[in-house]
This record gives sequence, C-alpha cells and structure tokens, in this order.
Amino acid sequence: MAQDSVLSDELLHHLMAVGHVDVLVGVPTLNNAGTIRLVVKAVHQAFARYFPRDRTVLINSDGGSNDGTPNLVRNASADDTETLTVSHSLRTVHRISTPYHGVPGKGNALRQIMTAAELTQARAVAVLNADVSSITPEGIASLVRPVRDQQYDYVAPVYRRHPLEGPLVTQLIRPLMRAAYGWQIREPLAPEFGCSNRFVTHCLEQDVWDSELGRVGIDLWVTGEALAGSFRCCQTGVSPHPATSSRTPFGELFGQIVSTAFACLERHATYWIGRNGSESLPLTTPLPSSSVEAPATDGSRLTEAFARDLQNLQSVLEPILSQDTLTSLTRLAEKQGSHIRYHDDLWVATVYEFLLAYQRGVMRREHIVQALAPLYLGRTGSFLRQYSSAPEAEVDEALESLSREFERLKPDLIQHWHRSPR
Amino acid sequence: MAQMIANAIRQAGTNFVESLALFLPRVVTTLAIIIVGWLIAMLIRTLVRGLAGWLRINVAAERFGVAPLLRTADLPPADALLGAIVFWLVWLGFLLSGIDVLGFTSLQGLLASFWAFVPRLVLGLAIFVIGFVVANFAWRATLLAAVNARVPSPRLLSGAVRWLVLILTGAMALEQIAVARSVVLTAFAIAFGALSLAVAIAFGIGGGGIAKRILEHQFPEQQQSSADEISHL
Repeated sequence: MAQDSVLSDELLHHLMAVGHVDVLVGVPTLNNAGTIRLVVKAVHQAFARYFPRDRTVLINSDGGSNDGTPNLVRNASADDTETLTVSHSLRTVHRISTPYHGVPGKGNALRQIMTAAELTQARAVAVLNADVSSITPEGIASLVRPVRDQQYDYVAPVYRRHPLEGPLVTQLIRPLMRAAYGWQIREPLAPEFGCSNRFVTHCLEQDVWDSELGRVGIDLWVTGEALAGSFRCCQTGVSPHPATSSRTPFGELFGQIVSTAFACLERHATYWIGRNGSESLPLTTPLPSSSVEAPATDGSRLTEAFARDLQNLQSVLEPILSQDTLTSLTRLAEKQGSHIRYHDDLWVATVYEFLLAYQRGVMRREHIVQALAPLYLGRTGSFLRQYSSAPEAEVDEALESLSREFERLKPDLIQHWHRSPR
Repeated sequence: MAQMIANAIRQAGTNFVESLALFLPRVVTTLAIIIVGWLIAMLIRTLVRGLAGWLRINVAAERFGVAPLLRTADLPPADALLGAIVFWLVWLGFLLSGIDVLGFTSLQGLLASFWAFVPRLVLGLAIFVIGFVVANFAWRATLLAAVNARVPSPRLLSGAVRWLVLILTGAMALEQIAVARSVVLTAFAIAFGALSLAVAIAFGIGGGGIAKRILEHQFPEQQQSSADEISHL
C-alpha cells in the first residue's frame, strides 16, 4: 500500500492511537521556527473554541528543519495556547510532529498529511501555511466548517488585499485559471485550503506526487484538481493577505508558478476545453473588513526594462509568438517607458500563445516560461502605471475586465490547441 | 616490310578488340552498379525521410534551433537534408565500387579509403550536430537567465557562450574527420588562446564598470532588481 511508504512506523503507531478523527489540521513546515508557535496556538484555539466536541488532531509534517521547528510544535505548551481561549476542548487534542521522507518539498508533506487524513477517516481537513503569523482561529474554522457542516469538498481562502497587490496572481494566474476552468476562484495559489475526505482520497489516487508538479507546484495543482473534478467547491474569507517570508528570487518563483499553471492546464485539458464562460463560487464567510494599503511602486522601472528585454529576446520569442503579436509588442517597446500601455487583448494573446508554445514544445519548456517573465513584468509595470493612483473599485473593474478578456479569447486558444501537434 | 606492318596493325587491332571485349563487360557492370546503386540510394533516401518524419525530426530541429539555421543557409528541412546526406553516402559508395570494377590501378584502394573515411565523417557530423544543439541550448539558457537577472549585455554574453561551444565542437569534429589535422589544431589553439587573452584584457581594462555592476547584481542585499521591488504573490 502507498500508506506504508508515505507513513513511517512511528507515525502509523501514533495515528492508530489517535483513531478516527473529525477534524485534521495539517501544517507542512521547513525551518519555520519564527512563526510556527503562533500557528500551533491558533490551531489549538480553533479546536477549543469552534470544535470542542470534535475529535481533532494537528499533524506537523516537517521537511527536515534545522532550526528546531518540530520541537517547537511538540513543546507548544497547553497553557501557552489555552489561556487565551474562552472555552476548552472537551476531548484530547492530539498533536503529532513527524518528518516526511523523500525529496524536500511541500508535495511530500501534503501527501503525508493527506495519507494520515485518509487513514484516520477525517471528516474535514485543513492545510495551513506555516510561514505566516496572521492566521487566526476564525480563519482555520472558516476553512473547516464548510466541509464539516455544509458538505463542501474543497474550500479556497479569499484574502483581503489591495487589487494592485500580487500581480502574478491578478494579472496572470487568476484570470487564466478562471477562463480555463470556468470558475471564478480568487486565490488559486493559496497555500491554505480545507477539503473533504473524498477529495483527499481522490488526490492520493493521482500520479503527480513523484513528479515535478508534486515537488514545486502542489498548491496550484490541488486547486486545479478540485475545480476540474466533480467536487463541491466554495471560498471563504480568512484574513488579510499574509506577508510571507519567502526569499525565492523572482525568476525562480515565476518559473515554478507558471510552469505549474501550464502543466495543470495541459493535464486538465479534457475538462476545460468543454467549458465556456465562468461561474462564481459560493463565499461561505465574508471577507474581513480590514483596510489594506496599495503597493508603494508605480511600475515605472518595470516598463523601462521592458523595451530592452524585448529587443534582447527577439530571437527567442520568434518561434513562440505569432507574427502579429510579436509585431504589436515590438511597436509597443518602441514607445517611451511612460507611454507603454500593454493592453488586455495583447496580454491575453501573449499568454495564450505562450501556453500553446508550451503545449507544442517549440523549445525546452523551462525556456518558454522564462521568456514570458520579462513580458509579464512589462504588463505589470504598464498596469501599475495606469492604476497606481486609481481608487480600488476602478482597479477591481480593470481586473474584472481582464478576466473577461481571457474568457473572450478562449475559443481562439481552444481552436489552436486542437491544431497543435502533441 | 609491308607485310610486317600489316601484321602489326592486325595484331594491334586484334589486341584492341580483345581488350575491348574484356573491358566492355566491366563498363557495363560499372554502369549497372551505378544505376542500381542510384536506385537503392533513392530508395534508402525515401525510407530515411519517412523514418525522420515519423520521428518528427523537423519538430526536433525547430525545437533545438537547427531549423532556423538551415533556413538561413538556404538548406532544405532537416528530414530532407538527412535523406540527402544518406543518399550521397550510399550512392558514392556504389559509384566507387563501380569504378573499382574497371580495374584502374591508380584508383585501386579508393573504395577501401572511402569506407574507412565514412565512419569518421558520420562521427564528425554527429559531433557537430550535437555541438550545435548544445551551443543553441547554452545560448538560449544564458540569454534568458541574463535578461531575467538583469545582467548587462545579455546578447553579447549569450553569443559568446554559443560561439565558444561551436568553435570547440567544430574543432573536435574536424579533428575526428582528420581534415588537415595539424592545421586545424594549430588554428584552433591560436584562435582560442587569442580570444581568451583578448576577452581577459578587454574585460580587465575596459570592463571594470561592467564587472562591478554584474557583481552588484549578485548581491540582492545591496541592490534590489526592479522585478523584486514588488511582491508578486
């Protein structure tokens, strides 16, 4: 059985002692000593406040931290967590910290948590991000409750964030996923989610765990799998968007995320090719009403670099982009940085042509994705320049318009997708 | 006297006819070998092109950057080029076999030399093709990495990498084919040494500022790139 290789004897022993559970919260970690105490504390508070009668377990799957993260989880004192709670859990709160085996990466940690959830027949599972300190007991409860009480299979978080924040999400991944999968999911890259045992079993049956997708792009794959399968999905407002401490350089981050998105779309092509338009997902908990600040940059440095990058990459872009798109981009790059307006239709055509080039394999796939990065920065810079002083509602409308443009041009993508040699 | 002359002429004629009788079958055999060889070479070319099409050689050539070079050099697509190379190798083999049948002493051994040369030629071509693919890969990887890392003059850098690999593999291929081996070795050593020295001097004297900027880019704590000034997630 797969469980034998994923779960160590020690973990199996612990889980057998725990028995069946109602709520399982999994926290994958790797050197998160700075934030893990707060996360564990929030989990215990959530168990005590919102699930006092449920059988609960917290599983920390650690990738080999050398900063004492597992010890911090094991030694998080009850007093530390419970003095702040109003009510106390009526059942024993189990807490297990265990290393996972195999290649370091969130995929293996998630696989271990899901395997444990399947073994303990957990009714509701929540996976948290150990890298943030802003997680609240209410946020954890809002990920669990729709599964436990409303029979949803997958709960995606919605963060309160300024619409100019996170351009990789708002300019590329969100509208692309929305147009393709036909669901208006706001945070497809969120590292936190809630899910049902049915969804867990489905995920464990897939063959991605030992692949590159399982190693670096598991969050996006989980979202795609939920949207493409016959699962009941919803969204829930959890907290302000967490400020992560990720130090991954931009190029590497961009490559990982876009490669994963393209790989997911290729994997789920049979599902999304038949979808038209998009539907909204139910929001089970409203967004927190905290205020958020706009990013400090106006994108001017990004647009200034765009023209130079485009000229440098001309020969790489030729086999990827159509002549029309390349000509439009070249004309755009001839303008002064402050006058560059990378319009929605051109940006969508660029993204779709890159996706088709990825599917056809016109060159090494990692090169295709890397070549998109400077164009993404150009588009981001153009958007930031245009809307840096605009009210939030206007920016939201611009993002909605971009998403609709992705949907409008989807038939072109499908037409060329069918023509592409496999 | 006249009788002697007549006998000599008759003898020469007889000898000529005998030689012709001996030589004509060889000519016919040679022609037959050449014609049959041509037909076989054509057949093999068709098979090779079909196999190349099935293996999607043209797609691979496009992917590895060989196809644009072929177009620039006004050469046929990769599958047709491969077929043509195989055709000429096979037909040249038959041609030399046919000539060998004629029995010209000066051409004796040509066929053996040719067949000894073919493996070296094929290996040399293979080295060059692999070198070209590697050079193209290295060029594109360097260019993309340099652009995304904001390294100055990315095209110059990636072009230098590409030519370095091409020169190296070109020299290796010529060494394998054994065409003017000493000339190739000497020329390569001089050119490579001169190039390295020129780059070192140019970079040392004139490129201090560029080196400084490159080093500064490697330390994000000291200088943040424009791409990193916003939170992308």
